[in-house]
Amino acid sequence: MSNPHKKEQHTGKDLPRWGMVIDLDRCVGCHTCEIACKMENDVPLGIWRSWVKEIEKGKYPNVVRSFRPTLCNHCENPACVKVCPVGAAWQREDGIVMVDPHLCVGCRYCMSACPYEVRYVHPQKGMIDKCDFCHTRVDAGLKPSCVEACPASARIFGNLNDPKSDVSKLVSTKSVTTLKPEMGTDPRVYYIGLDMATMEIKREAKLVWEK
Amino acid sequence: MGKVVFDVQYQTSLAFLISYYFYCTGLSAGSFMISTLSYGFGFTKFKPASKMGVVAAVLLLLLAPQFLLMQVGWPIKSVWNHFVYFNPVSAMSYGAFLLMLYPVNSIIYGIFMFKGNMKMTKIFGLIGIPMALAVHGYTGWILALAVARDYWNTGLMPIVFLFSAMVSGISMMILLIIIRDRFFTKEKVINHDLIDSLAKILGWLLVVDLFLVFCDYSVLLYSKLEAQEVAHFMLFGKMSFWFVILENLIGKVIPMIIVFIPGMRRSYFWLILAALMNMAGILAMRVVTVYGGQVLPLM
Ligand code: SF4
Ligand code: SF4
Repeated sequence: MSNPHKKEQHTGKDLPRWGMVIDLDRCVGCHTCEIACKMENDVPLGIWRSWVKEIEKGKYPNVVRSFRPTLCNHCENPACVKVCPVGAAWQREDGIVMVDPHLCVGCRYCMSACPYEVRYVHPQKGMIDKCDFCHTRVDAGLKPSCVEACPASARIFGNLNDPKSDVSKLVSTKSVTTLKPEMGTDPRVYYIGLDMATMEIKREAKLVWEK
Repeated sequence: MGKVVFDVQYQTSLAFLISYYFYCTGLSAGSFMISTLSYGFGFTKFKPASKMGVVAAVLLLLLAPQFLLMQVGWPIKSVWNHFVYFNPVSAMSYGAFLLMLYPVNSIIYGIFMFKGNMKMTKIFGLIGIPMALAVHGYTGWILALAVARDYWNTGLMPIVFLFSAMVSGISMMILLIIIRDRFFTKEKVINHDLIDSLAKILGWLLVVDLFLVFCDYSVLLYSKLEAQEVAHFMLFGKMSFWFVILENLIGKVIPMIIVFIPGMRRSYFWLILAALMNMAGILAMRVVTVYGGQVLPLM
């Protein structure tokens, strides 16, 4: 038996392709999106579907704080969907990458394949969970919770297939970038003014046997 | 360049249970190979190792998936869903079938061997070889196909896994044969020829294994930033004791020297020591690869 989602997908040409633009010239690093997401999706303590990485750089008086709001990129070529052994990580025709709780067995393979570390194990469900662009809100014609809550309107959500949408206009007129384009995942979350310092990784890790 | 003010701690996805799972499938595949040397390929010298090899292979392969089931969030659902919702592009999807078919084939092969039916033993032994390669090779593919981790994402990974499986399997067989011959036979004499040949094979496989590690690391060190960082983490960072000392020095280099010096190889004290060190080293290799390979944060 193949993936049941193949049948569920709609067919039709004028489907939207949902995407997001994050304008870091507007972002003030208030973490409101993070909290709005936690409230909307009932995300347990200690884990995040969307969060804002914050760094400081420079030497006084030439200093800056840079932010990188992070969420699932709803990739066009998602690494997580390819590796899931049971088809629980799947992609809707409108591009939203989902986790099916009826199928997911919690093997965590998708976690190790996603280059963006946005998937986590839900402590109560023992399954994988992650940002789903608030798909129930989107299906009802609303915007994702983080977009709605952002006081600086730094997160812009919309249909990338519609050339008149705000996201399409921004993607085609601004210098945008995606995270780790070299991974070949083809993300659909675009950043304007991303500071490369927010993408640096620490060489050190805390090992489990360390106190 | 910058100092991190706020970031989220990433959960470790695959860790020790998966390392043990890989270790057991490796031992199983290795001992299965030894058992087919005489019945499948006609190297009669290895015949006294065959029965032991197939019993070890079956028992270890029944043990191995238990670690897997402890790791996944939903063990029973996982067995069911793996069979029902097959994803042809996922390496892990094939695992459920291999983990089912390989022990069944090994048991049939073992039954014919114990009954003394040479022809059928040969047939099922030869069918079992690609299965044994696959059941362990696919675990290397699981890691290799996770694009996010530079330590895993290399075509060498399945081959490295096969060689580490064979060396650890041979070490285990050497130990088991010595124990059996010394304590569980009437004559209480150890089959010296057999042990000596196994030890020589072990030595050459260790040479290949070390060469593969060298190839892997030489490329990592010249590759992109994240690959370089993970190589430094293994060679000089927090994982260096595990990787340099346990996996390579104790697990591979010292055993290789012992089995290549004829005087030491013929002394059971040194040979047993070499086999034990090698088995411990390959366990360390599984931990280094699975846990160490993904513990560095990616973003
Ligand atoms: S960001 Fe990660 S989880 Fe989201 S679609 Fe891409 S690969 Fe999958
Ligand atoms: S944890 Fe769930 S979604 Fe992720 S690969 Fe395993 S079954 Fe698929």
